[in-house]
Amino acid sequence: MGRPKAWLEWHGSTLLYRAAALLARTVDGPVVVVAAPGQELPPLPAGVSVAEDPVEGLGPMQGLAVGLAAVADRAETAFVCSTDMPFLHPAFVRRVLRGLAPGVDVALPVARGFRQPLAAGYRTSLAGLVTRLLAEGDLRPGMLYKHCEVVQLSDDDLLADTQLARHDPELESVVNVNSPDDYAAARDRLPPEVLVECFGALARNGGHRPRGVRAATLGAAAAEAGLTLDRHVVAALNGDQVTRDGALPLVAGDTVAFLSADAGG
Amino acid sequence: MTPGGFFGRALLVDVEGREAEGAVLELSERVLRSYLGGVGLGTWLMHRLAPPGVDPLAPQAPLAFVFSSLVGTPLTTSAKFAVVAKSPLTGLLTDALASSQFAIAGKLTGHDAIVIRGRADELSVLLIDGEGVRLEPAPELAGLSAAEAETAAKERFGRTWRTAAIGPAGERQVRYATISHDGRHAGRGGLGAVLGAKNIKAVLVRSATKVSVADQKGVLAAARDLRQRSFGPATAKYRELGTLANLLAFNAVSTLPTRNFTAATFDGAPRLAAEELHELRGVARNSCASCSIGCEHIYSRKGGGQQRMEYENVFALGPLCGVSDPDDVFAASARCDELGLDTISAGGTIAWAMECVERGLIDEPWLRFGDGAALLRAIDAIGAREPGLGELLAQGSRRAAAVVGQGSIDFAPQVKGLELPGYEPRSLQAMALGLAVNARGADHNRSGAYEADLSGELDRLDGGAAHVAAAIGTEDRAAVMDSMILCKFLRGVFDDPFTEWARLLALVTGWNLDAAELRDAARRIVRAKRAFNLREGATAADDTLPARMLETPLELGSGRSAALDARRLRSMVAGYYSARGLDEEGRVRTADLEDLLLDA
Repeated sequence: MGRPKAWLEWHGSTLLYRAAALLARTVDGPVVVVAAPGQELPPLPAGVSVAEDPVEGLGPMQGLAVGLAAVADRAETAFVCSTDMPFLHPAFVRRVLRGLAPGVDVALPVARGFRQPLAAGYRTSLAGLVTRLLAEGDLRPGMLYKHCEVVQLSDDDLLADTQLARHDPELESVVNVNSPDDYAAARDRLPPEVLVECFGALARNGGHRPRGVRAATLGAAAAEAGLTLDRHVVAALNGDQVTRDGALPLVAGDTVAFLSADAGG
Repeated sequence: MTPGGFFGRALLVDVEGREAEGAVLELSERVLRSYLGGVGLGTWLMHRLAPPGVDPLAPQAPLAFVFSSLVGTPLTTSAKFAVVAKSPLTGLLTDALASSQFAIAGKLTGHDAIVIRGRADELSVLLIDGEGVRLEPAPELAGLSAAEAETAAKERFGRTWRTAAIGPAGERQVRYATISHDGRHAGRGGLGAVLGAKNIKAVLVRSATKVSVADQKGVLAAARDLRQRSFGPATAKYRELGTLANLLAFNAVSTLPTRNFTAATFDGAPRLAAEELHELRGVARNSCASCSIGCEHIYSRKGGGQQRMEYENVFALGPLCGVSDPDDVFAASARCDELGLDTISAGGTIAWAMECVERGLIDEPWLRFGDGAALLRAIDAIGAREPGLGELLAQGSRRAAAVVGQGSIDFAPQVKGLELPGYEPRSLQAMALGLAVNARGADHNRSGAYEADLSGELDRLDGGAAHVAAAIGTEDRAAVMDSMILCKFLRGVFDDPFTEWARLLALVTGWNLDAAELRDAARRIVRAKRAFNLREGATAADDTLPARMLETPLELGSGRSAALDARRLRSMVAGYYSARGLDEEGRVRTADLEDLLLDA
């Protein structure tokens, strides 16, 4: 593909930025990116930190150990994913994390016919176990699962979640970009469809009524609405957090409300 | 020498029997420079003139109309006056601003403030001009709306007089009655009841002199510049749709208080939205004197007539009471204007009563959420202080809850007795702090911390240190704007507010002011308000929110929960005290009292 996956562009964001920012808008706790030794990373969203993997070449288990250890003092559970998942949906993340019921160590999706260890939920307390297994030469995720309580989440289990079924019925959240053809196919896909509303002085010609636009980022949605996010314009995502971050990733089903930044009396 | 823009004196009017007597209180340059005018100077006057512990409705309680150095200049939005008194609703300091020609004529009587004390024997009007003060019996004005009284006063005394008047609610001393001029209301805290308690239906003022400014050319140039900037994007919302533009936006971000703060979104919001009404009902746009923004949007009413609508009256008489029919809300708003009632307190108190009825605490089964006719009936009962429900609700939600008991205070939508404006504290947590600590009570004009919540620069659901700093910042800016005085709708045009305001004041007054001095003035004004309240018995326990806000999380449309518990609020209040230099009980430190010039 000519570039490291983290740097690949998808509708206005690098894949890494999109994955990190999507997790940041989805979970309450910290978001950590695990980097290989000396790896140059593209810009990351504000508040996302980097944990450097001290050892190269040990594969995803090593990254898992570093990542879990990096957040263990701030979170009991973590969603772990690879960087190359442009269709990851917050509803998928939330569904998987709900699988980490008391006593469960790993919530492991078995989606689209495959186990998905890099789109799974883990207890952060597993960091030590993973490190020990690595030291013993067990480099495959499957070896970890023999030592802890794993709940597998089938397609049906996952799609029982109405939000996930509505916004990602094909479970494309787990689709990776592993080859130039994969990447080309991903880029050919249209950005997600989101609803846009404009209020107050920004609502001209009925602009306050919701309308669908294709946009992978907040900035793109603003452009579709004929707006620029500046000191006079902010956006509220799904009626929740207010932001001016044009790089904020959007997903299918999002509603974006654009408001005057001087909202108030 | 008196600084430019000021006369250096306040007129003290004592009303007794059928007479009014005027005396002059000299205002030193030090006091004027320290308090700027408007709300700041009014606060200082209350310290000096209100007897400690005075009943706000007693004859000796002073009521001050206060102007500023900018009033009468061509600076856009400067034609405003502050009305300041001890509130019959909160028992603490209250101040409210209104606009237009009364401000200019009142100042050009030759005074920086007019303070009224005493009580007339019968309903009267008070006239003030260059020839002095006089009291005229006016029994024929009894029962008239403020607008009708204004018209009648003009017919009787002549068109050169400018009038501030009360409606029937003020005459009857409803604790949240307003004082009005030209359709604009000094609305919050019951100032109309204070004037009504003095048996004064209206105050008439007439220009008698001129006032000089330090740098006339500089003021004109600044006025041209400011006027030009007032046409930019920072004021677009006010020009194009008015404050009612907030309604649909607030609904979208789950901060539109609904059914007495039991929800933060309202299904009926689209029917009340400015975006819809503007197309269907918008008929005119008006401005105050000396204003280039023109925020007043006038809508047609079904069956004829027109009504000015703002976000706060629509929120309070619409979603807060569960009413979604715009004609019901228009009618309720018009009725409040006719009676001279603060729409926020009226709506909040009625919404509380509706919930009491729903819970079986008040036996008035007709008073239901969503019933526009019931809303109107309740407003009329309040305006008339009808025995029973009207008399109960005329006291405001805090006093009414004390009568009803049974835990109803927990959901009375008030802070310090003043009903909450249309900003949901749980989903706007910088604003929550601002509402809790403000001297006037639950108030959005003396603390505009919602700006920070809606800026995208902090998490509005997770109040902490950043929210404290934001709340203090907006409170300071409001203190200066309300004292110098400029309309807050202009605030967005200033890139470096304190520096730019200092420059404007320097041009008018001749003072060599800078931003630091103005920041000091802001802090002084905020401290002086707090010092007054402490003198009148306020404590740290008053700096809180209704129990509902602290105990019941709110589900947002996104699925997240907006929770503001007592611990978090206490932590923010403690941060506020610390940053304001107050002691742990929120008291002004002895060392800072000297700076308030209370003995000057």
